[in-house]
Amino acid sequence: MNAPARTATRAAGTRTPLVDGIEKVTGRARFTADLAGDAAVARILRSPVAHGVIRRIDTTAAEALPGVLAVVTGADCAHPFGVLPIAMNEYPMARDRVRYRGEPVAAVAAVDAATAARALKAIELQIDPLPAYFTATEARAPDAVLLHDDKPGNVEREVHHVFGDPDAGLAEADLVRTATFTCAEINHAQMEPHAAVAEWVPGREELIFHSVTQVPFYTHKHLARCLEMDPAKIRLVKPFVGGGFGSRTETLNFEIIAGLLARRTGGRVALVLSREETLISHRGRPETEVTLALGMRADGRLTACKAEVVMRGGAYAGYGIVTILYAGALLHGLYDLPNIRYDGYRVYANLPPCGAMRGHGTVDVRHAFETLVDRMAHELDLDPFTVRRANLLEAPLFTPNGLMVNSYGLPDCLDRVEAASGWKERRGKLGPGRGLGMACSHYVSGAAKPVHWTGEPHAVVALRLDFDGAVTALTGAPEIGQGSSTMVAISVADTLGIDVGRVRVVCGDSATVPKDNGAYSSRITFMVGNAAIGAARNLRTELAQAAAAKLEADPADIDCAGEVFSVRGSAQSQLTWAEVVAAALAVDGPITVKGSFTTPEKAQGGGHRGGAVGSTMGFSYAAQVVEATVDVDLGRITVDRVWVALDCGFAINPLAVEGQIEGSVWMGMGQALMEETRYAEGLPLHASLLEYRVPTIADSPPIEVHIVESVDPLGPFGAKEAGEGALSGFPPALAAAVADAIGLDMDALPLSPDRVLEALVAKRRAAQRAKRREDA
Amino acid sequence: MTEALADFTLHRPESLESLAILRRAVPEARLIAGGTDLLPNLRRGLVDAPALIDLTALPDFAEIEPLAQGALRLGAGLRLADLARAPELAGPRQAVAEAARGVAGPAHRNAATLGGNLCQDTRCLYYNQSDWWRAANGYCLKYRGDTCHVAPQGKRCRAAFASDLAAPLIALGAEVALAGPVGERRLPLADLYRDDGADHLALAPGEVLIAVHLPPFAGLSAYEKARQRRAIDFPIAGVGAALARVTGGWRLSLAVTGTDSRPVAIAGIDDALDLPLSDDMLARIDKAVQKQVTPMRSTMISSHYRRLAASALARRLAQRLAEQARDAR
Ligand SMILES: Cc1cc2nc3c(=O)[nH]c(=O)nc-3n(C[C@H](O)[C@H](O)[C@H](O)COP(=O)(O)OP(=O)(O)OC[C@H]3O[C@@H](n4cnc5c(N)ncnc54)[C@H](O)[C@@H]3O)c2cc1C
Repeated sequence: MNAPARTATRAAGTRTPLVDGIEKVTGRARFTADLAGDAAVARILRSPVAHGVIRRIDTTAAEALPGVLAVVTGADCAHPFGVLPIAMNEYPMARDRVRYRGEPVAAVAAVDAATAARALKAIELQIDPLPAYFTATEARAPDAVLLHDDKPGNVEREVHHVFGDPDAGLAEADLVRTATFTCAEINHAQMEPHAAVAEWVPGREELIFHSVTQVPFYTHKHLARCLEMDPAKIRLVKPFVGGGFGSRTETLNFEIIAGLLARRTGGRVALVLSREETLISHRGRPETEVTLALGMRADGRLTACKAEVVMRGGAYAGYGIVTILYAGALLHGLYDLPNIRYDGYRVYANLPPCGAMRGHGTVDVRHAFETLVDRMAHELDLDPFTVRRANLLEAPLFTPNGLMVNSYGLPDCLDRVEAASGWKERRGKLGPGRGLGMACSHYVSGAAKPVHWTGEPHAVVALRLDFDGAVTALTGAPEIGQGSSTMVAISVADTLGIDVGRVRVVCGDSATVPKDNGAYSSRITFMVGNAAIGAARNLRTELAQAAAAKLEADPADIDCAGEVFSVRGSAQSQLTWAEVVAAALAVDGPITVKGSFTTPEKAQGGGHRGGAVGSTMGFSYAAQVVEATVDVDLGRITVDRVWVALDCGFAINPLAVEGQIEGSVWMGMGQALMEETRYAEGLPLHASLLEYRVPTIADSPPIEVHIVESVDPLGPFGAKEAGEGALSGFPPALAAAVADAIGLDMDALPLSPDRVLEALVAKRRAAQRAKRREDA
Repeated sequence: MTEALADFTLHRPESLESLAILRRAVPEARLIAGGTDLLPNLRRGLVDAPALIDLTALPDFAEIEPLAQGALRLGAGLRLADLARAPELAGPRQAVAEAARGVAGPAHRNAATLGGNLCQDTRCLYYNQSDWWRAANGYCLKYRGDTCHVAPQGKRCRAAFASDLAAPLIALGAEVALAGPVGERRLPLADLYRDDGADHLALAPGEVLIAVHLPPFAGLSAYEKARQRRAIDFPIAGVGAALARVTGGWRLSLAVTGTDSRPVAIAGIDDALDLPLSDDMLARIDKAVQKQVTPMRSTMISSHYRRLAASALARRLAQRLAEQARDAR
């Protein structure tokens, strides 16, 4: 790894193994499904029909089966849930109408799995089918039946944003090109299938709820809402979580169902979904069609962009509005491009609902953009690096749509990967079937405005210091494998001048930790990191006072480094950590402090409708080069090597940053090469990890990671996000490498062997036709 | 939709005699070796088996035995991981080891057996799904239903047989030894299969595959499979090839797996080929494969692609083996 050289006096900036890593690699970590114990087994009955009116659900036979403890249906919950308060249109179990195959219609809890299975079979379900739509085009047809009565044309949200003068911009260009790109729907395919363990505490009428969630706070809210409970009577626990990537960034139907069943049984219920059910719960990246027009001058300067984006969002709102807004907003902020027109359409269809997925909203549009830029560079005989350098921003600035950019490490990223890949020397000289491609990308460091706007701080961290001298950090930030707890430990330790090992991070239990919005939009490092530093500063102030009193000095002159307090400028007077803790606690006992983070108003985006989406405190920036070989007989692409540079502001934990960058590249590779969901009349054909193909380690190339540090003025220690920015650059860099290798331009993702081979055959035929015409 | 395994009784006979007695006593019992094919199918409700008979304690079941004149006997219980590194399969018959290495993932290969690989069930997108899924789709011709969703007009199940090992073994002229109620019999491996995805094995009731016999072979062989990922994936199309000297030239044997309900031994290639293979001959090989395989829409990837991949692999393997033969001379 190519991290910046640093002196090792601080933990921030040194490679630190994750604080919860030992539990995971030794198998001691307990995930939600591990907590089932002797809980009743819950199962969901799912609609076999893609679209229809529920005529009858009869559960009497199921309820009468020995061993069945509870049966619930849509009738048991009349409260919809969802992401945006204005777009909550999903019920935990369908009421009246089903809108996709696999939608829950009822659920049972029984003494064991076999009984639960029998009970499901005993439920009588009668559905009168309605016409069902599996593509955005079918759903938008003028005579299509509406999935939701309040959404004409089955369009959940249309967005039309114009900044600058795109028409004038295109008119000024030396080259204008338009292309349409189709990107398949994909899923997160996180390792851990969904699960919830819910326990009703009879007598106290309380619910103790364990789930795989990335957003315990929102799940807590929605449970209270759907179960009509006082939130104070719910304790929400997030145990170890095996990955999220956005699949659990919203409350999911199975969570509410588990809560309903627990209450009905008056005991403990475990609802562990199969991989098929986890894939049906979905919330992945929607199938997206991007029609893009770009204008470019002969020197590579971009003059204007027009983008029309159509997303097939599935049957319910979920994050839909946010996704379609992100797609347009993040056309901005990467390059200096003043003239942008964006038309977005989020469309309902009779398929599992899409949602937020790593690189939320930007990936498919970025793929189209970078791919078209690459083709135009080729046409103008310009080096793709030259074109990017002709369009750089100069921070600080606000983009035309009001996004704040205070730090911008893209130029460095370009230099790094250009040099490391040997671009100048090697490109065009790799031999037949082999090529190099490059692309850039960026991502937000936390949404500046949360989806549920409450006015409360975005993040709060509390610190406790007790007689044992340990510092306990209490944070609601859900550690889901991304390293957030380690980041909190480092931030606290460094601010106090103590060992990371002295900080114990407690997260994910509403009984003890302050509320946090959750693990999404790459917000945690920026927001929770700042809150942690704030809390540690407050603790430091109290300790400095105690030390100053003992050392008879001014608190402002007290330093702490390496767990030793001293008076600045004097070598004699020193106190140990234990001495100062004892002194500090002597007056009022154990200390509790907190720190919080609120986003600055000016970071919250433009004033136009939907302007809050995409707004952030800072963007990460990435450039990458991909080397690939194409087997033209089989249409098979091999990714030989990847060089990637990411500007994450400052790498608080370079080890974790490196992992996140590799993971982003790898996930982008899955989308680029092979991942796609497919449905047969709404039934998932990809319903297992055998048919939903994520790359294996045998498919994974060496990835050379470069960390660039632009030191953001608002970030904790200067840090920005590191977990998403490099993803969206991979697919276009690969497409460019394929074009470089065999001269083939592809408009679809993934670049699966069948698509590549078909495109090659079509290209050969076209060439033959052209030749015949010439000969004639 | 549940993926819970139903209860079953497990038997583990230690001789062919007790196996025979068990099969008479519990005719509805299913054989299990490594279980890597059977268990996922059991979980999905694709197999009704109140009892399972574990074959792994049978004597000599996992042995490799050199026979007279260079022939070879492979016990049906051999693990694929063992086949992959067997010195007996390092030379002329390396196609078998290559195929074994290409099956599933390392953990599967540690459990999976040769017999289970050759007797594995056929596969189809409309079949290898949960019970909820298949019920929602009205089941299918292969199991519980009456329509083939792949070829709705047809009366025959078009599920594909995707054993990697079958292709190189057929190319190398393998025979199988079967033990049944009336004793043991030998059969060319190619004849173990029928062109019917719902009934693809020509095993008689009560019969078990106990070994594979390979005839003497001094030529060259290779196996290659087309798949999207470098591990886990079944062959979209797999081709086994063997090239050996015969009077008057070279004999090329090709067999394709993954495209049809049975492995396809490619016919119509000249008995005595001249080396190097001419472009014309390569084109004929390509054509022959394209004509003889009949992939249907039973996989995520298009049937057209599977046909092209099979022929491309066959052409490439033929050329590669021909070049190796030339270099060896
Ligand atoms: C994720 C995954 C990927 C896979 N990928 C591949 C692949 O790439 N290529 C491939 O070829 N296979 C693949 N398989 C299928 C399977 O793992 C292999 O075919 C394996 O070799 C089967 O052997 P087994 O011993 O585990 O069979 P088992 O599951 O024990 O048995 C399979 C079938 O054969 C029958 N049987 C077993 N032994 C005998 C015998 N001696 N006589 C008669 N009948 C017998 C059983 O009754 C059963 O019906 C994959 C499986 C999975 C789960």
